[in-house]
Amino acid sequence: MAYVLIALVSVLVVALVAWPLLRGESGAQPAAQSDDLRAVEEELQSSLDAIREIEMDHRAGNLSDDDFAALDRDERARAVELMRRRDALTEAGDAVATGGAA
Amino acid sequence: MTLVGRAALLLAFASALYAVGAALWSRRKGRRELLVSAERGVWAVFATTTTAVVVMWILLLSNRFDVADVAGYSNRTLGWRYKITALWGSQAGSLLLWMWFLSIAAVLVVITNRTRNRALMPVVVAVLMGIAVFFTSVLSFFTSPFETVSPVPADGRGLNPLLQNVYMESHPPLLYVGYVGLSIPFAFAIAALVTRRLDSTWITSIRRWTTLSWMFLTVGIILGSRWAYEELGWGGYWAWDPVENAALMPWLMATAFLHSVMVQERRGMLRIWNMVLVILTFTLALFGTFLTRSGILSSVHAFGESTLGPYFLALIIVVLAGSFALLISRLSLLRSENSLESYVSREAIFLYNNLLLVGLAFAVFWGTMFPVLSEAVQGQKITVGQGFFNQVAAPIGLALLFFTGVGPLIPWRKASPRELRRRFLWPLVVAVIAVIPAVYFAQDGAHWWAALAIVLAAFTVACIVGEYWRGATVRHQLGGVSWPGAVGQLFTRNRRRFGGYIVHLGVVSIIVAIACQGAFSSQGDLALRTGQTGEVAGYQFTNEGGTRTRDDHKMSVGVALGVSEGGNRFATLNPGVDVFTAQMQRSSEVAVDTSPFRDVYVVLVGLTPDGLARISVFINPMMMWIWVGGLVMVLGLIVAVWPSRRPREAAARAALGADGRVRE
Repeated sequence: MAYVLIALVSVLVVALVAWPLLRGESGAQPAAQSDDLRAVEEELQSSLDAIREIEMDHRAGNLSDDDFAALDRDERARAVELMRRRDALTEAGDAVATGGAA
Repeated sequence: MTLVGRAALLLAFASALYAVGAALWSRRKGRRELLVSAERGVWAVFATTTTAVVVMWILLLSNRFDVADVAGYSNRTLGWRYKITALWGSQAGSLLLWMWFLSIAAVLVVITNRTRNRALMPVVVAVLMGIAVFFTSVLSFFTSPFETVSPVPADGRGLNPLLQNVYMESHPPLLYVGYVGLSIPFAFAIAALVTRRLDSTWITSIRRWTTLSWMFLTVGIILGSRWAYEELGWGGYWAWDPVENAALMPWLMATAFLHSVMVQERRGMLRIWNMVLVILTFTLALFGTFLTRSGILSSVHAFGESTLGPYFLALIIVVLAGSFALLISRLSLLRSENSLESYVSREAIFLYNNLLLVGLAFAVFWGTMFPVLSEAVQGQKITVGQGFFNQVAAPIGLALLFFTGVGPLIPWRKASPRELRRRFLWPLVVAVIAVIPAVYFAQDGAHWWAALAIVLAAFTVACIVGEYWRGATVRHQLGGVSWPGAVGQLFTRNRRRFGGYIVHLGVVSIIVAIACQGAFSSQGDLALRTGQTGEVAGYQFTNEGGTRTRDDHKMSVGVALGVSEGGNRFATLNPGVDVFTAQMQRSSEVAVDTSPFRDVYVVLVGLTPDGLARISVFINPMMMWIWVGGLVMVLGLIVAVWPSRRPREAAARAALGADGRVRE
C-alpha cells in the first residue's frame, strides 16, 4: 500500500513539473519591458505619495514655506519625469503589441 | 507510514533540486516554459513537504512509538494538542516545520508573482529552492523525523513539561514563520543583484513580506518572554540567553531595514546599506537556527548536542560569501541618487537609528559568541553575564527611544532651526513636566536611567500625539469631516506612517516597563507554616494550607496564599510545583496577581509534609505594559500592512493637476 502511494505521488510530481515542458506552456510573460513599466509605476506612486505627504506636512505646520517650496518643486519634477518615462514605455509596449498583431 | 514520510521528503528534495536547475536554466536560455516548470516544482515541494508533516502528525496521534521522535517526545497520556505541538519538540521535527513554512512561503511568492517580477522570478525561485534543498537534504540524509527504533518501547518519554504550555504551542511556529519570511526579502535582493534590476521594484515587492515577518518575529519573541516569565519561575522574562539572543539579532536587523528602506524609497539613498541589512538579517536568522542546533552553547531553549552544526555553519558561510561577493560586483550600480544634505533631517535620523540598531545587534552577537571565542583563543570558556548586555542595551535603548520621538517631527532633507523650535516646544514641555515624577521615583539618582526612560517616553508620546493632532486637524479643516472621521482618514490615507506611530507607542510602553521592572522590582523569600504570615515589600502573605494531588500524568503540590497590602486582602494566589511522572521532571506553576502598576509573582520553592511552605516573592512593577506594548505593536503593524486603495493611471495624472496642487 505504501509503495503504491509513493509511486502515485511520484508520478503526480513528475506530471506536475513536466506538463509545462510537454505543452510548451509559455505562462506569464517574462518581458523585461513589463517589469520596467511596473518599476516606473511603483516609483511614480511613491513620488505621488511623497508629494501628498509634503503637502500634508506643510499644512500641518511641519514644514516652513521655503522648505515646502523647495521640496515640493523637486518632488513634482521627479513625478513629471516618471510620468514621461511611463508614457514612453507604454507607447513602446503598444507599438510592440501592434507590430506583433500585424 | 514512515516509508511514505521518508519518500515524501526525498521527493521534496528532488523537486527543490529540479526547481533550482530549471529556474536558472530558464534564465540562461530564456525559455519561459522552464520557469513555469520550476514554479510547478515549488508547488511539488509544498505538496510533498505537507505530506511529510501530515504523516508525522498521524504517527504522533496514533502513538507509533517505533518512530524515534514519537517515542522521544510523546506518550500515551499526552493530550492531542500537545501531540500536535510535539512535532516541533524534536530537532528533526522542528526542521520539518521550518521546511514546511518555507514551502508555503515559496508557493505564496509564486502565486503573487505570476504576472509580476518575471525577470526576477527565476533567481527568486532558485534562491528559495536552494534553501529548500539544504533543509530537505538535512531531513532526508542526516536527521530524519521518521527514524525508527528497535525494540519498540511500550510508551514514549513524553513532551518536556516546560513545553506543555500555551505559549510554547505558538512561540516556535511564530518565530519560524518570521525566520522563513526573512528569506523572501533575501531572495528578492539576490535576484535584484543578479539581474542588475536594482530600481525600487524589488524593494516594493518585499515591503509587506518584511513587515509581516517582523510582526511574526515580534510576537514570537514576546510570547517566548511570556513563557519564560510564567514557566521558568525565576521572576524574570528575559535572561539574554543565547537562544533568546538568536531571535533578537535578526529582529534588530530587520527593524533597521524597515526604517532604512524608507530612505531608499523616498531619497534613493542607502541602497548598498539596505542590501547589507537584508543579507545580514537572513544570515542571522540562519545563525539562530545554527545556535539552537550546534550544541556549541548551552541554553534552556536549545536542542542540545547534535551533529548538524557544521552543515548550518557551511550554509551560513556560503550565504555570506556568495551574497557579499555578488554585492561587491554590483557596487557601481548601487550608487545613491542623493546625498545627505543635513545631519538634522529625517534621513539622518533614520541613519542614526540604523547605526544604533546594528550596533546593538553586534554587541548582542559579541556577548553571545564570547564564550566560544574565548575558548577558541584562550582555551577557557568565559561566559558573558546579563550585566554586559544590560549595560550596552540600556543606553542604546534610550537613544533609540529619543530618535523614535524626534524622527517623525523632522522633515526630509533638512530642517530649519525656527521650525525645530516650534515643533519641539510642546514635547519638551511635556518632558520637563515628566522630570518631576521621574526624579521622585529615581530615589536620589540611584536609578537615573529609569528616570531618563520615563522622561524620554513622555517626550516621545508627546511627539506622536502631536503628529496625530496636527494630521487630524488638517484633515478636519480640509475635508469638513468630524474629528473621529479625520483621525480615521489619517489611517486610510497613510497607513504606513500612522500605523508605524502606533507601533512606536507599543515600543515606548515596553521600554518604560522594562526600565521600571529593572530599576524598581523587589524580591524576598519566605518560609511559612499553615496560618503564618510574612511580608515582602509591603505585601503580606498568609499560608492558608497546602494541597497534594496525583494522577496518571503528574504529581502536584500547591499552597494557597492570602495576599494583602496595608491590611486589605486583594488576592488569593496558588503557586505550585508539578512533577511529571514520565520524565520525573519538575515544573513550577507560578502564581501572579497582575495590576496596571505591578505584578505580585510567587513561586513555590518547596512544601514539607508538615505544611511548611517556602516561597519566593517578586514584586515586578509595570510588567503588564510589556504585554500590552506587544499587543499595541501588533495592532499598529496590522494597520501599517493593511492594503490601501491607491490612485491609478488617470488619478495619477489628475493628482498632478494644472493648478499645481495634489488633490487628496
